[in-house]
Amino acid sequence: MIWFFDGSKQAFLTAFVYAYRDEDAVLSAGNSQLMLGQKSCFVRADAQKARRAEERLKTIDPACMKELDLLLRSGENNRGQIAFAYFRLIAARQCPVRGMLAEDAVTDAAECIRRVTTELHRFKGFVRFMESASGALYAPIAPDHDICDLLVPHFARRMPHIPFVLHDVRRAKAAVWDGKHAFTAPLAQAEIALSADEAGWQALWKRYYASVNIPSRARLKQMKGYMPVRYWKFMPEDPASLAESLRQAPKASPRTPQDGAPHPNGSPRSPHGCARP
Amino acid sequence: MISEEKLRILTESAKYDVSCSSSGSGRKNTGGLGDGMPDGCCHSFTPDGRCVSLLKILMSNDCVFDCKYCMSRASCDVPRATASPEEICELTIDFYKRNYIEGLFLSSAVHISPNHTMEALVRTVKLLRTRYGFQGYIHVKGIPKADEGLVTEAARYADRMSYNVELPSERSLKLLAPQKSKQSLLLPMKQLQRERALFRAEKRKGYFLPAGQTTQLIVGASPECDGQILRLAQGLYRAAGLKRVYYSSYVPVLHDSALPDLGSPALREHRLYQADWLLRFYGFDAEELVPPEGDLPSDLDPKCAWALRNMHLFPVEVNRAPLEALLRVPGIGARSAQKILAARRYTSLTFEHLKKMRVVLKRARHFITASGKFYGAGNELAVRGLLVAGEAHANATQLSLFDGAARSALTGEL
Repeated sequence: MIWFFDGSKQAFLTAFVYAYRDEDAVLSAGNSQLMLGQKSCFVRADAQKARRAEERLKTIDPACMKELDLLLRSGENNRGQIAFAYFRLIAARQCPVRGMLAEDAVTDAAECIRRVTTELHRFKGFVRFMESASGALYAPIAPDHDICDLLVPHFARRMPHIPFVLHDVRRAKAAVWDGKHAFTAPLAQAEIALSADEAGWQALWKRYYASVNIPSRARLKQMKGYMPVRYWKFMPEDPASLAESLRQAPKASPRTPQDGAPHPNGSPRSPHGCARP
Repeated sequence: MISEEKLRILTESAKYDVSCSSSGSGRKNTGGLGDGMPDGCCHSFTPDGRCVSLLKILMSNDCVFDCKYCMSRASCDVPRATASPEEICELTIDFYKRNYIEGLFLSSAVHISPNHTMEALVRTVKLLRTRYGFQGYIHVKGIPKADEGLVTEAARYADRMSYNVELPSERSLKLLAPQKSKQSLLLPMKQLQRERALFRAEKRKGYFLPAGQTTQLIVGASPECDGQILRLAQGLYRAAGLKRVYYSSYVPVLHDSALPDLGSPALREHRLYQADWLLRFYGFDAEELVPPEGDLPSDLDPKCAWALRNMHLFPVEVNRAPLEALLRVPGIGARSAQKILAARRYTSLTFEHLKKMRVVLKRARHFITASGKFYGAGNELAVRGLLVAGEAHANATQLSLFDGAARSALTGEL
């Protein structure tokens, strides 16, 4: 039987209660292909059932609800099944299982959580704000996982006095910090009147980004490994065009394979960061 | 707003400094802008594969020193620029607010005199911390031969400071950077270490270099071997309490009778970093890795090379070996070792389990047993052969019918 649920925590816990005894149950929060003769059921959240299940699971493992939250934020199609297998193991063993890395359910859940937290960490760096005319900051993002409200405390700690909006354009929702409170709201499209200096700062940043690069040491594969191309869309420094311009530029002379592009006015330059002094 | 041209000049002269980390500082926001992120944070990556974490910039590239390897040296004909403290502060604040950067990496050429330069750096950092209320990460480069008082003052406002040793011996320093001396670099390092220890011991309020000190060495510009370099690094870690030593391989772009004509291979830099990690996180001593007058092997990583010299210690049983022993197995890193420790409390681990836990077994299988099973090659020579082949294989590519000449032959476009 496939148990469909809407991706919320309550619905997951309700489905968990129904599916727990079912030997070959599959939980799905997205689209799943039904097999021939397979039954399916759409589970609606039942507050009471969910609360009871949560309390029971919490007494076994107090930290597991935080893991559930992260698992359900994953953008992967099989997140429901990964979470189900993990929580079924907790319920079966009646103890915290996160150290049992020899179990498939545990490694799968750990990997899934790691992918979500990794993206969360990446976005602490990759978010790019633009300043609106009112002084508030606005950043469009398109993360793989549903993390935009998890980013708010990080930026609110840094800039408590500046209101900002993190707009997840893929999920059409926004996480907002108004200077005092954090909240989320549905938001399909936003029109922002930018401040007078915004274009100037973006141009400076673009110039900085191009200047700090060492063209003769092109390592695009490494760059894309650390900063996947799908994140480039909202970055004012425009990594794509700089990478493209380098790809077309002729290679460095064979005499100095790692570095040594000629300096504009023919002067020698130090490639090894003598960073003065 | 600083002009684009000035920003370009000051950035291009600063970009060769390898240090880019923003980690180690847990500075809290007390009503201003910004805070420290102890794990550090990368904000962008340039096409050369390096991360952009800090706004890396010189106050000035107008230098009175004449270090032979440096492009901002006095006798070099490059465009010069000097920024004002306000320009730097504004730039930092507005970049930081937009989440472009994690903080400021402020360095400078020796402009007019060491004291004059250090004063400018201190003034900027102080302005940024006080008037602009900036509490993000600040890395300040120390200027050799500046007054002790100025150095202490800078350390009060910065999260991290660094003096670049650049050349691994006094003799090379004299030859290539005549205005610097070993003492002018090591004394302020020691001074800062002393003051930081005192600050911590007295549990004083505020911060004093929460992220410590780092330095940088150029490899291959002078004749020192890896053995000497690693011993120096180990000394800096243990005696001077440094957080990081960065290595940068020398590339000849400048003809001078005192400088070698050939560059140092990037592989040497890579091996030094591998060895450096072994010193800091894996409990190795430099003496175990390389003899004092020798170099690290290029065909194998230093950990494999050490293991092959010490085959009598292997194989170790993953289910019983202590953490220290696991960390010394080639192919098992800190994270894998922790995973093994956690998982083996519940069950006796087999190779299947290790694979599932994503412990890389390509190298490790020659040095471990799992539940008594051993899948390694057995004798030292075979292991060495397999490991070296594995390293070489990483850089190999499959021959293709559709490459270059073959392709043009096929299409007729000869």
